[in-house]
Amino acid sequence: MLKLTSLQASYGPIRAIDGIDLEVNKGEIVCLIGSNGAGKTTTLMAISGILKADAGDIFFEGGRITNLPAHEIVKKGISHVPEGRRIFPKLTVRENLQMGAYTLSSGKRAGTDEEGLIAKVFDLFPILRDRRDQMGGTLSGGEQQMLAVGRALMSGPKLLLLDEPSLGLAPIMVSKIFRTIREINNEGVTILLVEQNAKASLKLSHRGYVIESGAIALQGSGEGLLHNEDIKKAYLGE
Amino acid sequence: MKGVVQDQARSSRKSIAQRARESAGRSVMLRSFFIAAWAALLFLPFHGIRSALVLFAGIFAGLPVMQSAMRLGGPGEWMQRLPGFRAFTLRSFPFLRTSALPVFLLALFVLPFTLKDYYLDVLVMSGIYMLLALGLNVIVGFTGLLNLGFAAFYAIGAYTYALLNTKFGLGFWPSLPLSAVAATLSGLLLAVPALRLRGDYLAIVTLGFGEILRIVLNNWDSLTNGPNGISGIAPPFLFGISLGSLNFYYYLVLGLVLLSVLIIRRVKSSRVGRAWIAIRENEIAASSVGVNVTRYKLYAFAFGTFWAGIAGALFAAKMRFVSPESFTFMESVFILSMVILGGIGNIYGALAGAFILVLLPEALRDVQMYRMLLLGAGLVLLMIFRPQGILGGRKGVRIRG
Repeated sequence: MLKLTSLQASYGPIRAIDGIDLEVNKGEIVCLIGSNGAGKTTTLMAISGILKADAGDIFFEGGRITNLPAHEIVKKGISHVPEGRRIFPKLTVRENLQMGAYTLSSGKRAGTDEEGLIAKVFDLFPILRDRRDQMGGTLSGGEQQMLAVGRALMSGPKLLLLDEPSLGLAPIMVSKIFRTIREINNEGVTILLVEQNAKASLKLSHRGYVIESGAIALQGSGEGLLHNEDIKKAYLGE
Repeated sequence: MKGVVQDQARSSRKSIAQRARESAGRSVMLRSFFIAAWAALLFLPFHGIRSALVLFAGIFAGLPVMQSAMRLGGPGEWMQRLPGFRAFTLRSFPFLRTSALPVFLLALFVLPFTLKDYYLDVLVMSGIYMLLALGLNVIVGFTGLLNLGFAAFYAIGAYTYALLNTKFGLGFWPSLPLSAVAATLSGLLLAVPALRLRGDYLAIVTLGFGEILRIVLNNWDSLTNGPNGISGIAPPFLFGISLGSLNFYYYLVLGLVLLSVLIIRRVKSSRVGRAWIAIRENEIAASSVGVNVTRYKLYAFAFGTFWAGIAGALFAAKMRFVSPESFTFMESVFILSMVILGGIGNIYGALAGAFILVLLPEALRDVQMYRMLLLGAGLVLLMIFRPQGILGGRKGVRIRG
């Protein structure tokens, strides 16, 4: 479904990822783990078009999407939940979700059932229903993360890119978010997950990639990586 | 010794809320003190030590009261506790609420028959500034792009009509849309390179553009007649009749302001408006939900500068004279102050801001020397006590480049 071939991208003069090869099949949860600064976030930003790639290619459902503008990539069915819960703080929860359906309200996709989509997000995250008229910025960290995920689902994506959904959340919230990720996947949305919480995300994922200083160091099934001795030492603290 | 220990125990028993209230109270006192001292210092050289001390005492005592009145965005708690307060809100008179708008509009239409020319003239000027503030509000308020050179687009509108009229004999009516188009095109011309920049850098580029344009107008003698300006601009004509009267300008400006409010309201609640607000709120989030950020920023610049072009043509027609002096950096700051005073991102706030900032200097003519001082002090006070502006709804909407 998604395929990266020797992808390179930089921030100014600094090369952040240097030849990433990665594949995500339809229906999978794939996680990308690695330490700080390894290039996880950069990879997602390059896929969603927020950052330009220097070299290499990105294919989605057979078509080349390398360096398409971000709004075009959303229309193709890739939805990105950026790191650090970038919600619209001065808009209400409802308005945030409505913005998520932005690409649906134009052209031939006009007339989509926005209310139905919002109701589905509320079913997934009931707390958002209670908070629907509250400003996004007044929600707790976990609720903001839910809102960011819910907003990404509003465009009806085929592939969801999640960047550190557990960052800065209380342990109970983390397990809640991870359960919901599985639920979203069960509904047929393919997921590429970037995480520092290696253990939880490997348990959740079908397959995983380990990224080290801008390149893929290891790959395998979630279960397999979880029991890999090197991984245990480096990332699981065992 | 024992007393001290008891005292500490008592204070540690104070609830957290109580302590928070106390520390908030202290910071209000401290702030009032500094503001009062600052105002007194400014007054000292003009009025001597006694009036400076009176002013100090007045501000120091008055500010906390004012703050409690304004903090909640409306009448303060203490006002609501006054007996009978609730009976006097508009809500208790449904008839007044539904008829307020038509009555207000009717009043606007009959005003010219009751007002002296001087007041009418002030109203016409405030109408022109309303158009400017409405336009800038689209760029700064809706989209969050700080623009410090807005007077440049006002100038382009004014000079377009001035030149078309004096060099080619073109009348006001065909020139009005052309002025708007000229301002829009120059807005786009500036936006294309400037929108690669963010924040302070964008502000500096727009500031630079404003200055460059003013200097060009000042020095291109063969076209603009330099600092002497262009005079002899014709007023609007209709069926060969000159419409140069103040009454006519009043109705023209009133009509255009009403029209612009209607149009801007519609655009704000449209797809385009939602994209603008998303960009203001968080640019990365906006692009991640599929907003074409560059395109909508361009739209904001084009749409905002359009109204500046209209205002410029009106200004040139009313004054019958334009010169670079009217379009300085101070003018840009003045328009921006209107947007901020009224409440960033609020359409009616922009109207109120323009109205107040045009009227206030006129009202303060008696204290000529101090009016800019008072105006500045007023703005500082507003930013301290009501940073979201007079009508700003959602508190603390940031300006971002």
